[in-house]
Amino acid sequence: MAGDAIVAQDLTYRYGQLVAVDHISFKVADGEILGFLGPNGAGKSTTVKVLTGQLRPREGKVTVLGIDVARDPEKVQAQIGVCFEMTNLYEKMSAEENLKLFARLFGVPHFDATAILERVGLAGRERDRVENYSKGMKQRLMVGRALVNRPAILFLDEPTDGLDPASAENIRKVILEERERGATVFLTTHDMMEADKLSDRVGFINQGKIVALDTPHNLKQQYGKRALRAQVAGPDGGLENREIIMDQPETAGAVQELFGREKVVTIHSEEASLEDIFIDITGRGLTE
Amino acid sequence: MSWPIVRALIAKDYTLFFRNRLFAFISVLGIVFYIIIYFVLPSSVNEELDIGLYALVIPPVFEQLQGEGLSIKTVDSVETLKEGVIEGQYLAGVVLPADIMEKLATGSEVTVDVYFTADTPQELKDAVTNLIEELAYIQSGQVLAVDISEEIVGPDMVGIQVPPRDRMLPFFAIFIILTETLGLSSLISEEIEGRTAQALLITPMTVKGLFLAKGITGVSLAFGQALLFMAVTGGLNHQPLIIVFTLLLAALLVTGIGFLLASAGKDLMSVMAWGIPAMIILAVPAFGVMFPGTVSDWVKVIPSYYLVDTVHLSANFGLGWGDVWQDILILLGFDIAFIGLGIITLRRKLT
Repeated sequence: MAGDAIVAQDLTYRYGQLVAVDHISFKVADGEILGFLGPNGAGKSTTVKVLTGQLRPREGKVTVLGIDVARDPEKVQAQIGVCFEMTNLYEKMSAEENLKLFARLFGVPHFDATAILERVGLAGRERDRVENYSKGMKQRLMVGRALVNRPAILFLDEPTDGLDPASAENIRKVILEERERGATVFLTTHDMMEADKLSDRVGFINQGKIVALDTPHNLKQQYGKRALRAQVAGPDGGLENREIIMDQPETAGAVQELFGREKVVTIHSEEASLEDIFIDITGRGLTE
Repeated sequence: MSWPIVRALIAKDYTLFFRNRLFAFISVLGIVFYIIIYFVLPSSVNEELDIGLYALVIPPVFEQLQGEGLSIKTVDSVETLKEGVIEGQYLAGVVLPADIMEKLATGSEVTVDVYFTADTPQELKDAVTNLIEELAYIQSGQVLAVDISEEIVGPDMVGIQVPPRDRMLPFFAIFIILTETLGLSSLISEEIEGRTAQALLITPMTVKGLFLAKGITGVSLAFGQALLFMAVTGGLNHQPLIIVFTLLLAALLVTGIGFLLASAGKDLMSVMAWGIPAMIILAVPAFGVMFPGTVSDWVKVIPSYYLVDTVHLSANFGLGWGDVWQDILILLGFDIAFIGLGIITLRRKLT
């Protein structure tokens, strides 16, 4: 039976007087991918640091894999993999050497660096020094490094940031493979499409508080507005945009009126995006 | 804390140290350079004093002492004597007054002019002035007032002078060790600047393990090189245990200083900016051994004084534990202070 991989209860963290994380509570089930979304400074990174034992919570309690992180961070850290937002690799060592070092730190026997490098699309460059890698290659290596100990939980902070579309897709595939293996994934990202596509649930954090936490579908049902977007021919021969909000009492009349009075060139339905929902809930954008 | 984890980090640090061309070059070149310099320097001191003499009347004792560690060449004028001193033919030029025999006979004060070059070591000046007084005593059989332009200070070093290259041993050893201060602190600061320390500390590697690994790296780099240098140059011939132990304490000292520098600097350049003045200060006591009389007692506040003093006394004069234990104890105290301070400040920066 699936349990909870992560349980945060009333978690609070302050930097001096600044409350970075303000009494948040949530659970992440075993094998679940949780997308954790929020603008810069919302408290995402601080939450990850507390969950991974880098910071001790000022208030509240966090258990990861049933272990109290504040009491036994090393035990937790032995079972998790972390991909940081900022590159932190040994630049004067090769990709293979970087992975082997971390495999030794985790005490992984018979470690196969090549297999991981193949998964993240770096096969053939394993002997090159990291200082000669592009930003995207370094990012892929960071993801690969997070996998060396076959972690029970993967914490990924903007794992596809700076990657070209093909590489980003490769990393998304790795994330889904890890979930298939049984790993839990805690994913922070600015990429709403990515979060929507990968996450079983998404949590919105704003000013240190979780303002919404549910499946993308439920959030869209609850907060999003579906709309019809049409382009009609204008009086001067150009195209003009029209929008009709769906699921409203006046929707049917508005559609009838659109087709009766205007020359519709294109029309399609559109679901609210997670970004729209975030703005709707918080009144601010994710990239602010 | 697991030993395989610490070992993995030490192996990584050694790899990165020797991939940093600057430090690898400085370390290897430093040892080779210091060893070459050591063997190029004179291995012995010329104990014979070549003295030029101008005198209308030469007391017989001056001629009798010829060949007994004293070589006296007479010249026919004061000018020739001065030229000989300047050209290095004589270590000193002595001018005896024309009435010296009468004055020696009557016991009157004798005025003797002695010429040295500007770079004549003080101990040699002392030796010459002592010698003249001694000759006057032998000649007259009584202690006479001899007015010599050079003031007599310090002990007579004739016969117990330390060859220049052996005198430089502590200087070289401390420089080898100090170089590793920069090496270690740059390794740590790169770890902080590149945020790799953050990545390490999210593995089973603990902060304690990290310090242990860095400490072992720093101590082994500094101690290993200094030991190699001392072994090659014969610096371990006298009191090897004392010297090995002192070098180990010195390596611990620079490791503590390396931790402090790494916590003070934000990047490699700022580590250098803090590290070079620190190196210069720590090297000052070594100059005191090379050039006696150039530094005074204040130098004892510099921790490296106790390293230099112990190595100098043990390697060059064969002094044992009973003579240097105080130096070693003080050095140990500095070690504890610097390692403790270094760990506290660096721990704050890391966590």
